[in-house]
Amino acid sequence: MKRILSFSAAATMLASVAFAEPVVGVSWSNFQEERWKTDEAAIKSALEAGGAEYISADAQSSSAKQLSDIESLIAQGVDALIILAQDAQAIGPAVQAAADEGIPVIAYDRLIEDDRAFYLTFDNVEVGRMQARAVFAAMPKGNYVMIKGSPTDPNADFLRGGQQEIIGAAVDSGDIVIVGEAYTDGWLPANAQRNMEQILTANENKVDAVVASNDGTAGGVVAALTAQGMEGIPVSGQDGDHAALNRVALGTQTVSVWKDARELGKAAGEIALALSGGTSPADVEGAVSWTSPGGTAMNSVFLAPVPITKDNLTVVVDAGWIPLADLCQGVENGPAPCN
Amino acid sequence: MTETSSQPVPEKAKPSLFQQLELDMRLLGMIGAFVILCIGFNIVTDGRFLTPRNLFNLSIQTVSVAIMACGMVFIIVTRHIDLSVGALLATTSAVMAMTQTELLPQVLGMGLNNPATWAITIVVGLFVGTLIGAFHGWMVGYLTIPAFIVTLGGFLVWRNVAWYLTSGQTIGPLDSTFLMFGGTNGTLGATTSWLFGLFATGIAIWALWSGRRAKAAHGFPVKPVWAEATLAGIIAIAILGYVYIVNSYAIPTRRLQRMFEARGETMPEGLVVGYGIPISVLILIIVAVTLTVVARKTRFGRYIFATGGNPDAAELSGINTRLLTVKIFALMGFLCAVSAVVASARLANHSNDIGTLDELRVIAAAVIGGTALSGGIGTIYGAILGALIMQALQSGMAMVGVDAPFQNIVVGSVLVLAVYIDIVYRKRLGAK
Amino acid sequence: MMQAQDTQKTSNNAGRGSGTPPLVEMRDISISFGGIKAVDHVSVDLYPGEVVGLLGHNGAGKSTLIKVLSGAYQMDQGEILIDGKRVEIGNPRDARANNIETIYQTLALADNLDATSNLFLGREMTTPFGLVNDAAMEAECRKIMAQLNPNFQKFNDPVSALSGGQRQSVAIARAVYFNARILIMDEPTAALGPHETQMVADLIHQLKAQGIGIFLIDHDVHAVMELCDRASVMKNGKLVGTVDIADVTDDDLLSMIILGKQPEQKAE
Repeated sequence: MKRILSFSAAATMLASVAFAEPVVGVSWSNFQEERWKTDEAAIKSALEAGGAEYISADAQSSSAKQLSDIESLIAQGVDALIILAQDAQAIGPAVQAAADEGIPVIAYDRLIEDDRAFYLTFDNVEVGRMQARAVFAAMPKGNYVMIKGSPTDPNADFLRGGQQEIIGAAVDSGDIVIVGEAYTDGWLPANAQRNMEQILTANENKVDAVVASNDGTAGGVVAALTAQGMEGIPVSGQDGDHAALNRVALGTQTVSVWKDARELGKAAGEIALALSGGTSPADVEGAVSWTSPGGTAMNSVFLAPVPITKDNLTVVVDAGWIPLADLCQGVENGPAPCN
Repeated sequence: MTETSSQPVPEKAKPSLFQQLELDMRLLGMIGAFVILCIGFNIVTDGRFLTPRNLFNLSIQTVSVAIMACGMVFIIVTRHIDLSVGALLATTSAVMAMTQTELLPQVLGMGLNNPATWAITIVVGLFVGTLIGAFHGWMVGYLTIPAFIVTLGGFLVWRNVAWYLTSGQTIGPLDSTFLMFGGTNGTLGATTSWLFGLFATGIAIWALWSGRRAKAAHGFPVKPVWAEATLAGIIAIAILGYVYIVNSYAIPTRRLQRMFEARGETMPEGLVVGYGIPISVLILIIVAVTLTVVARKTRFGRYIFATGGNPDAAELSGINTRLLTVKIFALMGFLCAVSAVVASARLANHSNDIGTLDELRVIAAAVIGGTALSGGIGTIYGAILGALIMQALQSGMAMVGVDAPFQNIVVGSVLVLAVYIDIVYRKRLGAK
Repeated sequence: MMQAQDTQKTSNNAGRGSGTPPLVEMRDISISFGGIKAVDHVSVDLYPGEVVGLLGHNGAGKSTLIKVLSGAYQMDQGEILIDGKRVEIGNPRDARANNIETIYQTLALADNLDATSNLFLGREMTTPFGLVNDAAMEAECRKIMAQLNPNFQKFNDPVSALSGGQRQSVAIARAVYFNARILIMDEPTAALGPHETQMVADLIHQLKAQGIGIFLIDHDVHAVMELCDRASVMKNGKLVGTVDIADVTDDDLLSMIILGKQPEQKAE
């Protein structure tokens, strides 16, 4: 097979060969969480398009069950595995078993600390950059508050790193003063709100912008601001939560960086087809070599998220992500499409 | 009752085939259910269920719960319950993980993968498990706090002690020798497995024969010779059949290559090597045989069943039921630690969620295996079969692609159904 | 088993009054549960080869008193002497060590075990390897059951599958097998038919002849009159009195039970 073939071409070719349709196994860590339904649909349709069969198992939040699940998927003769790991390290024996059988493994959205896995996720550093970029554009000078994610989640620091890349120069020049910075235990909105209230009190409300790391914490921040009549100052977020998009439409939140799960699922399906068709991991379209915090060099694909601001709200409605009524609830004469 | 009273009293007929074999009908029923389950899944999955590989996986996946279910039989037989086994597994696993990755290599300076690490680690783990179990037993036996409460408290305490010990981190990778207890990473290989199979068959036949001889020596009635021979044949086929299956699951070529490379050799072309019996399964077999002997042939076992049948009678017969309770819970703690070795070695890491919900699986396995919650009745082999049936159901349904919620709905229903069938069966027999 | 002790192979009541100390003496026993005095300063004694009946209504304290002797309950006050020597009976094991055996009203059988296991419960015979020797125990069990209840055949069934009489014989076998010197029988005939009751009566005579001292708790005054040498009557935890059966009538005993008073000494 020619190495320059892109994965979609490889997939088409496989489909046309069709002597035995490839089987792709997906091991979910916890399918109870609503968001994975979207991912699953996207993976399925990508596989269908490539003429592959989809089988799956749900580990129900147990790393031990996930290992059994993957053994079972391998026993069913899968040609590629997509794994949403419950535990980045404890999944090791499963990756080992797959590698023994020569089955490619895609670490879906969550890191697997193993150089044989192919890491597919959104670029979390880029998410941080986008958050800071949008806030910085709205407020290039002034007092900033950084509301970070959970201290136990490595993503929280990736995000903060990306944010620093954008505002670092302005901080050094003194245009921006960071007057408060706090982690949010468990990403809980209530904790973010409490931290924000304390920062406001300490600074006698002299705050001009807030870089919050996700929509949940942004919700807490906006509630604290509203209590002081300060809503409307720039606030960032991520995830495209319905409530957050509504805040963007209302003007109380500046940006929600949206990681389209359908893009992630589609990419996973296509990469799985490419890898099972014999494409080497380094040749997958968009693949880069990346070193994890644990020091593992892996082939990875990082998808770019989309910052949703008042200027491009139509994107999420057109994508079917949020009904117009939800987005524009309580909005009068707002940005498109709420006008 | 009314429907049976109208029937004529059954005549003393010639003993049926099964009666002559003196086989436990319950055991046969469970084996039958297991076989039907396997064949059913095999048909639905186009023959993917009954492959050497899947049966090998199935036995490895069952070990951790089955080991604890053996101990749970004794707990339930004495009319207690232990809700803390999953949490206790987590704590002992955490203790062992910290011992082998932090304490021994760093604090004591033994370095990683020291040849003594695994042994010291396991001794520490078994000691801690036994100690915690004994502590539970002391509270139940001597302080007379109900076991339900003691172990419900223990469930919360030990789950979070495990968390505290590791700060919620996944600890790993574990010691390379220690990993051999996990299953795939440690198997006996084909030749040793055959030797073990023959040895086990020999022991089983010797046990049958010596039991028969002891009865005959006192002039008690014994089974016909053909019945004994049939039984011996069934046992031999079961043991050697399992060995054959696990030997036919070949180590994947890439893995084999790596093993040769690790030793600095090159792999001969076209070499096929079977896995053989996993060490974890061997541990389960040792635990099962030992506990069956304990249950049937030791005073300790006799007292466990007597206490379960009638605690007052046991006490009045001079049995120290309080100390007995301590011993039973200590044994349960010990088995949790054994199980923790297998479970953490299988994951090659200690993860914070290890053993979650195992208490329910363990209790369910024991109960499906015919252990009566009213006490006094239960068998070790039943509990292991119970664990095997549950695991077969779960992995079979996962293989068929049954949705996760339905998997749990089915397992829950099977649990209730199994107990109901058991009740009906016992009523028919006229026993309690 | 049931070996007669030659020195005590004597006629009724021979031990009593001959200057030897009683086999058992329970002195000034008190025990209370949650403030209620179940047994209140009661003293009873028993001589070798003697049957002493314990009479009284339900709740009179007979069973409680006897459970102090068998080690099931701890007394609050008082002392127990065996052969004139003070002994501590803190649990059923101590009682057994003093050759005190008890047939409980409830029989105290483990229903899920067979007759042999129940017979030897707590005193199993073992092989040199420390494992229980089932075959040897079953052989012993078959021997003693052949004497006590020749019809008994269900050696491999749990005792829950046995009839009341069969269960009773297992309980009796357990009490007499281990060379008992002191036997406590708590309502041994309560669940039995006439034939089996007679069997128990025969057994009591037989054991008595071997010099075993027996405490017999019974509701049935006639049975006591027939089987016992003396009777101690209790009411509301207190001892009403102890009388020689030879000196009293059925009615005397009944009035002691009901009225709680010693009978008027008969003027002769």
